[in-house]
Amino acid sequence: MNKGLSEDQTDALQELANIGMGQAGDSLARIWKEFVHLSIPKIAIVDASRLPALIHGFVGDTAVSASRQAFHGGFRGEVLVVVSAKDRNGLANLMGYEGQLDSVEREEVLLDIVNLLGGACVGGIAQQVNAEIGFSAPSLIGEDIDPLDVIHPDQLAIDKALSLEVCFQVENRSLTAHLVILLPNNEVGALAELLDQFLCTL
Amino acid sequence: MADQQNPQLSGFIVERMELGVFAVDSSFNIVLWNHFMHTHSGKSWESLKGTNLFASFPELPESWLKRKIEHVFALGNYAFTSWEQRAYLFRFKHNRPITGGVDAMLQNCTFLPLRDAKGKVELVVITLQDCTDNALIQQRLAEAITVSDEERRKQQELIVKLEDAKNQLYQSEKLASIGQLAAGVAHEINNPIGFVNSNLGTLERNVTDLMKLMAVFESKETELPKDTQRELSKIKKEIDFEYLKEDLAALISESKEGLSHVRRIVSDLKDFSRVDQSGWQIADLEKCIDTTLNVVSNEIRYKATVVKEYGHPPLVECVPGQINQVLMNLVVNASQAFPERGQITLRTGEEGMYVWIEVEDNGIGIPPENQQRIFEPFFTTKPVGTGTGLGLSVCYNIIRKHEGDLIVRSEVGKGTCFRILLPIFHGKMGESEEIEFANSAPQ
Ligand SMILES: Nc1ncnc2c1ncn2[C@@H]1O[C@H](COP(=O)(O)OP(=O)(O)OP(=O)(O)O)[C@@H](O)[C@H]1O
Ligand SMILES: [Mg+2]
Repeated sequence: MNKGLSEDQTDALQELANIGMGQAGDSLARIWKEFVHLSIPKIAIVDASRLPALIHGFVGDTAVSASRQAFHGGFRGEVLVVVSAKDRNGLANLMGYEGQLDSVEREEVLLDIVNLLGGACVGGIAQQVNAEIGFSAPSLIGEDIDPLDVIHPDQLAIDKALSLEVCFQVENRSLTAHLVILLPNNEVGALAELLDQFLCTL
Repeated sequence: MADQQNPQLSGFIVERMELGVFAVDSSFNIVLWNHFMHTHSGKSWESLKGTNLFASFPELPESWLKRKIEHVFALGNYAFTSWEQRAYLFRFKHNRPITGGVDAMLQNCTFLPLRDAKGKVELVVITLQDCTDNALIQQRLAEAITVSDEERRKQQELIVKLEDAKNQLYQSEKLASIGQLAAGVAHEINNPIGFVNSNLGTLERNVTDLMKLMAVFESKETELPKDTQRELSKIKKEIDFEYLKEDLAALISESKEGLSHVRRIVSDLKDFSRVDQSGWQIADLEKCIDTTLNVVSNEIRYKATVVKEYGHPPLVECVPGQINQVLMNLVVNASQAFPERGQITLRTGEEGMYVWIEVEDNGIGIPPENQQRIFEPFFTTKPVGTGTGLGLSVCYNIIRKHEGDLIVRSEVGKGTCFRILLPIFHGKMGESEEIEFANSAPQ
């Protein structure tokens, strides 16, 4: 079992996520012609039982919509995106939807959000550490649900996870999405190794 | 990676596998179009090569798809669509023209970035997978689950109904055997009552005759010898002859009264259990109440005073035997609600198309939390072995079958009033009734 990441590794990961997301944010801003704000990524090793509280901490007592996507390759894990329910249409016309969304289109937007942000963040990190990462099709966790219901710790296969949290905001769109990358504890070693290799090349 | 593999083989696979594969450059010009796409779109690679995707397929949702592809170019990430949200990208005929039931091929699409040597995304490759079969199975599964859920719910309902029916059967069986017993006893008692009654008549006549004779004897008494007179008067004193003369008549008339009481009880019992008539009838509810009160009078005599406030409502189409059961249950419950002695008031009246009966007591009352539950089978607050808790549930079912209503109003410490509402007319006359518990009783 791994104890997590060293301080150096954590710093490196934070920097890589920051750069990766930053580049992705720039690219998206250029396509959308809107300003995109990103928070500094926060990295922590959390107990699975603490995850509902973590997610509740992002949004407070408001209904949320959430979707997830798995990635695999150099390191494996899942990306989770939580959007407060009132914001869910915020990205829709940036994504090329026209007019009022029906319920399946709203679902599709949620899937696209996790795909875009997860890809930007995980893909950004992977590219910099020279890892091949593939993504599975995203899936929906729920619309208009209690933030405490996004993750049920008793249904998780892990007891600890590395969480990397970024808050993503588009100006003028009142869209705030919280992104959490969850790495099962036994995958942290693979990531640590890649980070070490990356640190050596500096 | 590709250069380690057989390019001819890879080319063959892309061209021939059962998966749509096509690719566009950053201006959305088509640079790859495999056999699957050709077959299903009807447009060949030769005709599409280098053309703009949206010019060649104007039916595509352009603004959304453009954005989607742009994102892949910009970020170098995968993107996906799923048939569950977006049935298809291209409207193709599906592979189940006969057994399908959907109007177009359902598709899952994956958008893959193809990078050049410098890592810049050069092309976006889009794969398109026919999910119609899976989707149909999934849809049918979902439908099957809905159906089986529905069936389970129905089963649950049936179980509850069965339970109710069982309780009702239990109670009506109990009543049936009581009814049969009563009818049998009534029948057995009727014969001896008959001859006791006729004997009593004869006895009365004979006694009158005897008395007539005695009167003559007494008037002639003075003509007898003195000794005999003394003896007679001694005996008369001993047996208190003057009193005996009066008492004899009184005894006979009291016996006749008692006997007619017995005959009324027997006929009430027969009425109550409806040995001779059952099923829907036009009945006088006030008579039902009187009959029932006679049957339970012993049960309530020492516990309650009965007050009748009859409003003489019209006759009602009902199953009188069952209404009697309801009334009996309500009156017995009322009589059991008094810590000491109380009063039971029976009222009748008419309201629109309904006739109502109220059975009111000034007993202990029913707390609000129990008022919800008293009609449940087996709900009882009486000590184990005393009440079955079936009384009111049977009442409720009977009244429901009469399309009427049974309403409780109660206040703890003040008393309880049950109100029965019965529609005057049903159009059920002549139909046989399911719970004819007494129709097989001996006559
Ligand atoms: N008039 C009433 N006053 C107070 N409580 C009543 C009255 N009628 C019914 N109840 C309450 O409702 C409960 C259910 O009545 P029900 O007639 O169904 O069963 P039971 O009288 O307990 O038993 P059973 O009728 O089988 O002898 C009673 O136990 C009692 O608590
Ligand atoms: Mg009772």
